[in-house]
Amino acid sequence: MSWFALDTWIVLVGSACAVACALPGSFLVLRGMSLMGDAISHAVLPGLALAFLLTGSRASLPMFLGAAAIGILTAVLTQWIRRWGRLESGASMGIVFTTLFALGLILIVRGADRVDLDPSCVLYGALEFTPLDTVSVPGVGVPVPRALVVLASVALFNLLVLAAFFKEFRITSFDPEMADTLGIRSGLFHYLLMILTAVTVVAAFEAVGSVIVIALLIVPAATAHLLTDRLVPLLVLASLLGIASAGLGHLLAITVPPLFGFADTSTAGMMAAATGLLFLATWILAPRHGLLARRYRGRHREAAGPGSAEDPFHRGA
Amino acid sequence: MIGGLPVAAGAGRSTRPLPEHLLRTLILALLLLLVPALSGSGASPATAPTDRPLRAVATTAMLGDLVAAVGGPRVEVEVMMGPGVDPHLYQPSRADLLLLRQADLIFSNGYYLEGQLADILDRRARQREGIHAVAEEVIAERPDELRESDGGEDPHLWMDVGLWIAALDRIEAILVEYDPDHAAGYEERAAAYREELRALDAYVHEVIASIPENRRLLITAHDAFGYFGEAYGMEVRGIQGLSTDSEAGLRDLENLVRLLVDRRMPAVFVETTLSDKNVRALLEGARVRDHEVRIGGSLYSDAMGEPGTYTGTYPGMIDHNATVIARALGGSAPEGGWQEERAASEGKQP
Repeated sequence: MSWFALDTWIVLVGSACAVACALPGSFLVLRGMSLMGDAISHAVLPGLALAFLLTGSRASLPMFLGAAAIGILTAVLTQWIRRWGRLESGASMGIVFTTLFALGLILIVRGADRVDLDPSCVLYGALEFTPLDTVSVPGVGVPVPRALVVLASVALFNLLVLAAFFKEFRITSFDPEMADTLGIRSGLFHYLLMILTAVTVVAAFEAVGSVIVIALLIVPAATAHLLTDRLVPLLVLASLLGIASAGLGHLLAITVPPLFGFADTSTAGMMAAATGLLFLATWILAPRHGLLARRYRGRHREAAGPGSAEDPFHRGA
Repeated sequence: MIGGLPVAAGAGRSTRPLPEHLLRTLILALLLLLVPALSGSGASPATAPTDRPLRAVATTAMLGDLVAAVGGPRVEVEVMMGPGVDPHLYQPSRADLLLLRQADLIFSNGYYLEGQLADILDRRARQREGIHAVAEEVIAERPDELRESDGGEDPHLWMDVGLWIAALDRIEAILVEYDPDHAAGYEERAAAYREELRALDAYVHEVIASIPENRRLLITAHDAFGYFGEAYGMEVRGIQGLSTDSEAGLRDLENLVRLLVDRRMPAVFVETTLSDKNVRALLEGARVRDHEVRIGGSLYSDAMGEPGTYTGTYPGMIDHNATVIARALGGSAPEGGWQEERAASEGKQP
């Protein structure tokens, strides 16, 4: 195996994507809206169709703008239906993304059936190809992948928004009723979070493709949630776990297949798989919510008699 | 407890500055760490061609076939998308990236056949030489030949052998310009292959013309045969639109079934890279109306056959398609196709 500069770039792009996704992803996991990324990946279809019908072009920019607009619409509509339809979030996401996807199919069949407008064709980028598409950044001596610049900017933007409204985001995530009594409009912050998610997800789809984004949005945050119930450590851990998945995934992608006589495999796929591996390891080994720890505590409690151990699953704000 | 940070006595608010600081440091550290690791040039293309063979990458096997034929021993060709791969759904790996980085010349089809890779190569082409979207360059010379529908361009130029000869000319010109020292070899090999493809073109014209006129209707799984139909005089209908993701509408299926029954069509066709689910729905529909239609055969549309076999070459792929279509629709074509015909005529000559 040999490691080139481009391998470093791939891992960096993956890491930037991990941080950009982990920030909104942690809140989505806390709010039980983890599949938002998946929902948006289906819902963008009418955005692509409209952008094509309006501009007559399949270039990256109109496709991105169309997808981003519909991504935001998906997020806002989901939140709106959840609030006013009194539905659980899974159902409201299901309603919105299937309706939008179907609308996209209808638009394509009516207006552009003889044009290839799949998201996989015109929107999704490929992580493996990001080092080919470079821009020059002032102060950095080498050409930098465009995707890294995009994703690092998204990560920074998310960080700034979250930092600016940290108190509000925290309280509305854990205790929206409390937030309302404090005069914080929890609805507003839900919408803000959803818009943040939509922009992040669509930008990341365009830069590195879909599967890795959907995985990095949810799995590192869920893993971190096994380790801590507190928000700031959750955000930090989710970012770190995402970065670790990016490194581990790329390493596995270029080292494992040669053992079986193949060249190598999809890095994006392996990074997504690595998030799952880290989750599994954490689920077994985590000190408080982990499988082994629970077994151990269970036995301990039997020995000590009932009532001596507190409920290990209690999750305080 | 893992990840617990020290909490200043009493107030949740006082935890704020520290974690923010941590996150920011994390990102900054990440960015800073990287600069030294990135300065190496890694696998960059060697610019000046010396005596080593040129390294070329072709996105599809149809392009790879032309580049190999013209390049001969001077050019090592790697094909990114192998047999049976739907280019729209292709998943790249790091090996492909290394290939592209090390290549002297990169040949892609263009018109979004390769999806978003097209945009990347397009931007890359502004920074370095040797990247060519062959189908787009062919059309730039003869804009009237482009098939457009609903405002999108049809990328399947290779279905018309005449147009693919134009692609051969383009590739010859590109190689001659890039490596003029070996121009004679390129020109000689290109001329020989051009002759072969002209003979193939004539064969396809002949066998398709042998189909009874009212049966010159080609129904396939998706819209890949537009150039074929235009060049050889067949009406073409795809069950699906051009995008392999789009779905066949019920009314479209109805109309196709009516067409099949009215024209008493004996056969429809499936494609190697697509599921035959929709085509089977057509057969069912026709059967209900007491008209027996069969699957005439499996056509190569977006990818060729296995390397090392006859259908793993461009002439083999086209020969297979034309022969299968002609025989299934009542035309006359030798069972072994152009290959057999050619072998027979060569056998007679000496």
